Amino acid sequence: MAEIVLMRNFGRQDSHTLAGYRATGGYGGWEKARTMEPAAITEEVKKSNLRGLGGAGFPTGTKWSFIPKNHAGPVYLVVNADEGEPGTFKDRYLLERDPHALIEGMLITARAIRCALGFVYIRGEYVQPWRLFSAAVKEAYDAGLLGHGFDIVVHRGAGAYICGEETGLLSSLEGKKGWPKIKPPFPAIKGAFGQPTIVNNVETLACVPPIITRGAEWFAALGTKTQGGTRMYSVSGRVPKPGVYEASVAITLRSLIHDLAGGVSGSGRLKAVVPGGGSAAILTADEIDIPMDVDGLKNAGSMIGSAGVIVMDESVSIPEALMVLARFYAHESCGQCTPCRESTGWIYKQVHRIVEGHGRKDDLDTILDVAKRGGGTTICAFYDGAIGPYISYIEKFRSEFEALCRS
Amino acid sequence: MPKLTIDGKEIEVEAGTNLIEAARRLGIEVPHYCYHPGLSIAGQCRLCMVDIEKAPRPTIACNTTAGDGMVVHTDTERVRDTRRSIMEFHLINHPLDCPVCDQAGECWLQIYYMKHGLYDPRMVDEKVHKPKAVPLGPHVMLDAERCILCSRCVRFCDEITGTGELGIFHRGDHSEIGLFPGRDLENNYSANVVDICPVGALTDRDFRFQVRVWYLDTTKSICTGCARGCNVDVHVNRRRPHHAEGRRVARLKPRFNAEVNAWWLCDIGRYHFDFVDAATRLTAPVRRNPGGPADVTWDEAVAGVADALRRYPPEQVAVLASPQMANEDLIALRRVLETRGIREVAFDVPPTALAKDDDFLLRADRTPNRRGATLIGLGGDAGGLMAAARSGRIKCLWVFHHDLLAAGWPAAEVSRALGRIETVIFTGTNANATSERAHWVLPAAAWVEREGTFTNFEGRVQRFRTALEPLGQALPEWELLGRVLVGLGGTAAGRRAEHWFRELTGAVDAFAGMSYQSLGDLGRLVAGATASGLPTPPGQRASAHA
Amino acid sequence: MNGAPGSSNSPPAERAGLAGPATNVAFTPEQLAEVRRLQGLYPDKRGALLPVLHMAQDAFGWISLEVEEYVAGFFALSPAHVHEVVTFYTLYFQQPKGRHVVAVCHNLSCYLAGSRDILAHVQRRLGVEVGETTDDGRVTLQSVECLCACEAAPMAQVDDRYELNLTPEKVDRILEGLR
Repeated sequence: MAEIVLMRNFGRQDSHTLAGYRATGGYGGWEKARTMEPAAITEEVKKSNLRGLGGAGFPTGTKWSFIPKNHAGPVYLVVNADEGEPGTFKDRYLLERDPHALIEGMLITARAIRCALGFVYIRGEYVQPWRLFSAAVKEAYDAGLLGHGFDIVVHRGAGAYICGEETGLLSSLEGKKGWPKIKPPFPAIKGAFGQPTIVNNVETLACVPPIITRGAEWFAALGTKTQGGTRMYSVSGRVPKPGVYEASVAITLRSLIHDLAGGVSGSGRLKAVVPGGGSAAILTADEIDIPMDVDGLKNAGSMIGSAGVIVMDESVSIPEALMVLARFYAHESCGQCTPCRESTGWIYKQVHRIVEGHGRKDDLDTILDVAKRGGGTTICAFYDGAIGPYISYIEKFRSEFEALCRS
Repeated sequence: MPKLTIDGKEIEVEAGTNLIEAARRLGIEVPHYCYHPGLSIAGQCRLCMVDIEKAPRPTIACNTTAGDGMVVHTDTERVRDTRRSIMEFHLINHPLDCPVCDQAGECWLQIYYMKHGLYDPRMVDEKVHKPKAVPLGPHVMLDAERCILCSRCVRFCDEITGTGELGIFHRGDHSEIGLFPGRDLENNYSANVVDICPVGALTDRDFRFQVRVWYLDTTKSICTGCARGCNVDVHVNRRRPHHAEGRRVARLKPRFNAEVNAWWLCDIGRYHFDFVDAATRLTAPVRRNPGGPADVTWDEAVAGVADALRRYPPEQVAVLASPQMANEDLIALRRVLETRGIREVAFDVPPTALAKDDDFLLRADRTPNRRGATLIGLGGDAGGLMAAARSGRIKCLWVFHHDLLAAGWPAAEVSRALGRIETVIFTGTNANATSERAHWVLPAAAWVEREGTFTNFEGRVQRFRTALEPLGQALPEWELLGRVLVGLGGTAAGRRAEHWFRELTGAVDAFAGMSYQSLGDLGRLVAGATASGLPTPPGQRASAHA
Repeated sequence: MNGAPGSSNSPPAERAGLAGPATNVAFTPEQLAEVRRLQGLYPDKRGALLPVLHMAQDAFGWISLEVEEYVAGFFALSPAHVHEVVTFYTLYFQQPKGRHVVAVCHNLSCYLAGSRDILAHVQRRLGVEVGETTDDGRVTLQSVECLCACEAAPMAQVDDRYELNLTPEKVDRILEGLR
């Protein structure tokens, strides 16, 4: 089994406290980083092959290097703790059980990008994580870790999946509807409140202290050639032991299900797996011998996304599963771009009609065509995420849908 | 200045120009809904997709600035296919109620469906239902089901008026534009949201159901609502006179002039045309004897007025000209005065209440040609003139347009003055209490019934053109004045407004060198005037709300 | 930027008493100070709009139009723009809500774990449909998208708490505890 990095403190009763964090070497990364040149920190993170763990999988150090070098005004660090991808719950664990790992990661990142103010955007429903993280922030202030060149504002969202999209999050942070922002300009040039901004996921930043403490080579070696480290896989659905599992990004999906989550429950026979959160294309039972890193899933025609793994056994109705997700996308589309606004609702109506027994076979072609045509036409990636399930569920399990149709 | 290639044609544009504007300059139309050159970029309708070489997929043109060496294709198979898809998305929840929609005929859903859509509809499910026929204020009606959520109207209220009345509420396909419940859209620019709405979501309550737009004729004109002289198009209905109860002027629409009004027009100006088709219009020359009024021929009226002007010594004759009159009328009037040596002339009759400017386009001066009347030398002391009338010195008074009994003078004093004048001549478009006291009434054509020029507050001389025939026997003032001038033994400058304008350019230095041709559609400043340009919209000032 | 420590929200106030229509919408002096503190945390005070709306909901029970106008005043915003925000997010109640809110997750993992049955059970027990409040004003029932506790599906959010691994029996116990 791979080394446990991110969940190393989870077993401790006091893991959420400063004392507990310090007891296992916490803030050692920050002690080291504060003696380093900002550019050296970024360089180290680049070398570690750390890639964003929120969904897009963008190389983290590269992202940091997009901040303009000679910007006169402030630069902001924004932490995306708006966890909302169906099947994902890892950031909740980090916020509740190791909040100081995030604070330390923020301190180091802030130094790398020359930032004096960070925001942590926590989804509104996460009241307990918000309380625990806020308490940790207070402890860090009391201990003098914060407030001396770097401050953290903890911000609560108010219920909107789209705020997990980084520019939707920024709009929301600015006190607006969570409408994603048109790009260019990109956040690193003009982000929160019009200033250069780096938006990173909770888990991504929790990786930063160990990278600094133990070195980029060590971290890179934990993963694959193109992605370093371990990551936290959220496993749910029809498995005996649902939960969050840390493993090397090189672990295969088969191993994750069978070795860590205890196999397949329900009928016991695997039918399909959502490998990277609701927006990832579904995989069939014979598509699970793939490494669970960014490229492994890309090569399999899906995406690792937020690494939320949802397991479905033979008894699960794929059309019903798609209906559940289609309802989600129709409900969560922000309404800004026409293709997404109009077709998420339309596709939900069609899938719902099919599940209710009023579908026609050519509805399936319409859904596929509409989904494909809308792809790549919108401001943000929300709709591209939605079409992952629309297309893959129907293409891979078409006969199941057809069986529900009248003609 | 970046040089780029669009559809095989090279063009050099100013840095920062987006691809829609760059293409427009080549005569290539990139279809779009949410983009408007006067508003910020929203990028949400997704229709303006073009192919840019080396880009993996079509890109929106509105948010792409022209780059040096960029190669753009607006009509590839991929672009056409994308547009077709986007059109379908725009229309799946649209009620398709064109037969009862006022926008039909000028609707960009219709236009672009025919040009870029033409797919077979596949939507068989229940459409999303939203509020319909919702009055948003005195001028605007909303049908939220027709709305494509381009957000132009919302951005207009944020970025131009700074009033922020409109928002897009809820999300997904339940998103809808609207007002904060209980509030109205009643800023002085509210009807501009109708102009910029590309579909039938926002319609004009005044224009609604009056006439189909394809029966309308369009004429370039100038708004007469204030001294700014906003450029407008007059839309008239001559082809279906039985529609709209005989109303000929259907609506005014702003016409772009970067220096004067850009794309905008205030509501006060926009609806300032009721008088044209009002029942109070004067349609025939009238002579009022002790026995009562009687219609007369123009020849009789002109002879009678010329006779009056000749009969009284010049010091017993006074003229109240009007800043409603065009430059051509004013120079013709000046020639009449010169012929008889009449010196008692003024045009500044005080209004009952002082109007205020509105902090953007609307000027406190609610007349279109005060600057012209001043330059042409017809300014004088109107109060002194009325005092002279009260004292009995004035025996003959020619009033243009004003209702002296509804001016900022005590009505009793005006009434006493009118009572002492032997011959009152009135020229105007509509009857009023003063015309009722006139011995001669010479009906004038309204500005939309003739051509001419106004000089706006900053000295910009702008043309307006003939949209309609004069009602009844009404004549342009320059023409009736020319006839009177001939009756007095003088020579009229000509039989067209343009001839009088030429007369003006020879007579008044400020206008020297101008011609109708050189004024063009956007006008020219008189000598010595400095353009103040378009004021910064309230929504773009530092203190802006919203 | 004052860089003041801490969180951009005060903890939700205890939701005591019936959450009836908001009248006399006005913050206490302490709450007004909190509004100013929150506004000071952001480079542009508008950043505090969501936190202040949370505060207002805790203070007044729900976000009435009157509350929207009141809050708009602190931000020099047109009420329409506050209304946009309130109608965009799911956690702002535009109607009076019950003393407790039960939000049953209906997304994929919970669906796979039987959330439909759980929801039906709650509906039967409370005698209300989704979106409704019990006649005694005790509970508002919602059916919501993924709350990200899929490892313990089916689950629901009951006020501030996540209630995990729901069974009909556990639901009964939870509902009984809601007074």
